[in-house]
Amino acid sequence: MPRQFLTLLALLACLGPGMACAGLGEPESSVQGDVAKFQGVVNTTEHLTYRTHEIELPSGTVLREFVAPGGAVFAVAWRGPIIPNLRQALGKYFDSYVAAAKVSPVNHRRLDINQLDLVVHAAGHMRSFSGVAYLPQSVPSGVSVGELR
Amino acid sequence: MSAVDMHAAAKSEAGMSTASRRVARGLFGMILCMLAISCGGSGGADDSGSGTTGGTTTLSGSNVVAAVVNAGPSNNSVNTLFVSVTVCVPGSTTNCQTIDNVEVDTASYGLRILSSVLTLSLPVQTMSSGASLVECTNFVQGYSWGPVALAGVQIGGESAGSVPVQIIGDPNFTNVPDDCTGLGTAVNTVAEFGANAILGVGPFAQDCGSGCAAAAVPTTYYTCSGTNACVATAVPLAMQVQNPVSAFATDNNGVIVQLPSVPAEGSATLSGYLVFGIDTQSNNASNANGTETVLTVDDQDDLTVTFNGQSLPQSFIDSGTNGIYFNDSSLTVCTASGLTDFYCPSATTSFNATLTGANGVTASEQFSVANTQDLLNNNPSFTAFVNLGGTYPGTTTSFDFGLPFYYGRRVATAIEGNTTTVGSGPYFAF
Repeated sequence: MPRQFLTLLALLACLGPGMACAGLGEPESSVQGDVAKFQGVVNTTEHLTYRTHEIELPSGTVLREFVAPGGAVFAVAWRGPIIPNLRQALGKYFDSYVAAAKVSPVNHRRLDINQLDLVVHAAGHMRSFSGVAYLPQSVPSGVSVGELR
Repeated sequence: MSAVDMHAAAKSEAGMSTASRRVARGLFGMILCMLAISCGGSGGADDSGSGTTGGTTTLSGSNVVAAVVNAGPSNNSVNTLFVSVTVCVPGSTTNCQTIDNVEVDTASYGLRILSSVLTLSLPVQTMSSGASLVECTNFVQGYSWGPVALAGVQIGGESAGSVPVQIIGDPNFTNVPDDCTGLGTAVNTVAEFGANAILGVGPFAQDCGSGCAAAAVPTTYYTCSGTNACVATAVPLAMQVQNPVSAFATDNNGVIVQLPSVPAEGSATLSGYLVFGIDTQSNNASNANGTETVLTVDDQDDLTVTFNGQSLPQSFIDSGTNGIYFNDSSLTVCTASGLTDFYCPSATTSFNATLTGANGVTASEQFSVANTQDLLNNNPSFTAFVNLGGTYPGTTTSFDFGLPFYYGRRVATAIEGNTTTVGSGPYFAF
């Protein structure tokens, strides 16, 4: 019961206009807020050094959130016909992402942001987009960034 | 924008930064009416049987328009293919506007016009509620926002009476929904696109398709009414932004892009063709070279490329990309400011990749990557480079065969639901 209550609290907080509790860098409980926001279906998978929550959006796009043993989301990856709302998925890192994207070379088929605190890799074209955003300092040791898809 | 203005703008970008901007401009650019054949105006039979270079077969016919690679009006585009398109108020043959500097893009679907170049007033589509239909178009770096209007579209001798097109950056529609701004940066101006319009002639008839017809999909189509917040909406296929080729009366099953070959050091400009229809005229027969390979794509316009032992399932062929983009961590990346997304090997390096269609058919593709900095510095006025390679991040599962893939060959794009003598779309054949 307390657990459900906490989830409900997280969900309500995440439905607010600020959506500040969402996504990257937030506790695992925030995933429920993302599921609600995206009206998705979630599947959880245990890996050796992290846990993934894979949210399938109605559009067919899949958003995968990677949770470290410490309980925080350290990466989000997306793939599908539509880009998900990254303000939701990147949470408090969204503004940093937009600022970096604005000064990146103009190229509508790729994006490659490499900051000390935030990495965003994205590629694709109309009907097919994929990308990953992760916090390099929070990736658990032993995890290859190539797994973050 | 006059040519004088554009040259002044180019001059203000000095030295290396000009070279960087040329190539970093990305996939969208513009064309001046420098070549008469590319600016022939508003339809009618197009006889573009001259002006080619590099030994490409001359083509002519009402289904052929000239397509040109050049520096565009900002003098900074490379590997960008342009045509001229005429749009009309539906039902009118006189209330028309010819737009040049239109980029040919085989990895998108539909005509998108930057509102600042549009002098016509095109009717915006409305839903049964009376609200306007507005689209949030996804790009890797962000989004474009603008209404979906109806236009007559004429390209060369082909025409369609009333086609849903997007008007990007329309100042009458500024109430962008949070879900759309949540995609990142806004891409709503000619400067940001480097083009007056994008002609999406990829292998699909609509930009979204059945998913957006079945249900409201956030970050795609919206209805907007007055100052109210726009609301995500389902949109019937016929009202979605359409590949204009599908809407042509004839020669409507796909396109062929035919470009001459480019020497290793590059070319100043390039003149080729955009041909409408496949197997519909004597000039657009399949398998003209006798060795054509047909690779179907999946419902996301992707195929698989195997490169360096890696299978990359989100790969694509794309006239709208200005280079060959892929990941090879052993290849030296350029260090010059603005060029750090491109490769700069000390010597031109050859590679082999295998493309596998959704139909399981494979094609082996050889390509080379030269030192980007040298290419640009050795011939600062050149705009077509066959050996231009750009980087993809290591996490990416894509390989992007951009415009250099098209040099020296015919590449056909068949639209979904159409069958030619060699296969059924969606496919690419070359």
